[in-house]
Amino acid sequence: MAQLVVWTEPLAGSNCYLLGQAGRCVVVDPGDALGPLQTLDRLGWIPELVVLTHEHCDHTAGLEPLRERWPGLAVLATERCSANLQSTRLNMSAMMEVYLTFHGSPGVRYPPFTCRPAGLTYGAEYTHFWRGHRLRCVPLPGHTPGSAGIFWDEEAFFSGDYLLPCEKTVLRLPGGSEADYRAVTLPRLQELPGGLLIHPGHGPSYRLGGRPGLPQGV
Amino acid sequence: MTNLEKYDKLFLDAFRIPREELPGLKYRGIPAWDSVGHMDLMSAMEEAYGISISTPDLLSFSSYEAGKAVLEKYGVEL
Repeated sequence: MAQLVVWTEPLAGSNCYLLGQAGRCVVVDPGDALGPLQTLDRLGWIPELVVLTHEHCDHTAGLEPLRERWPGLAVLATERCSANLQSTRLNMSAMMEVYLTFHGSPGVRYPPFTCRPAGLTYGAEYTHFWRGHRLRCVPLPGHTPGSAGIFWDEEAFFSGDYLLPCEKTVLRLPGGSEADYRAVTLPRLQELPGGLLIHPGHGPSYRLGGRPGLPQGV
Repeated sequence: MTNLEKYDKLFLDAFRIPREELPGLKYRGIPAWDSVGHMDLMSAMEEAYGISISTPDLLSFSSYEAGKAVLEKYGVEL
């Protein structure tokens, strides 16, 4: 049984999930250079795998700092996410200061950055095993080209920037596609089973079907 | 395509509006030009002209006309 710890990045409210077992862990969306590292130090956990739900900077800003600390760290992402990590436009770090200004944090410095590609990539549904746990990774383009949802042992679902509590899915940022969302992603989200535990990229976790204000079309 | 034609096309593609609406168009003047639309438009401007616009200038890009002045600061003649 893995222990779940959540660290929330204070600027954009992005969740970084850490799943630990026997002193080792999986990190989902390390969205800050310091927070996930400090949390790992506090817990005494060593990361073995980073899983990305998409390429945006508020979900990836801690990736290179983790790699510098643990050079052999495996990184799992869609092929398109992996490619877009290398673009300040598509990872949105070039626009983050503008975003923060619009969202009540003017004057915050957020230098654009890129990340090296992921070592483990997939272009279609892919299953990865970690210490007896099954991570089923499903590409879900729309919010970004490289977005994905991650099932954890079919009990929980890391939804990235989909299924955010009471928020519409944003499809108009660079690389976003409403057409891909409607053709590929929305049908997958609509078939998620009731009761599934959702761990969204922003906001609190919840069980599907047990809350008001489902996102658009779901 | 001239720089001005390219400039207009970026607005038309981003906001899907008729060309006649471009003069006088302002940030938040139409639903599509909200904060998300602004970031998308600014990213497209940077990519189209091969420039990197500072955050203060990205924020002062508040209308179709104001944007022309911003781009001229970066050597883009419209």
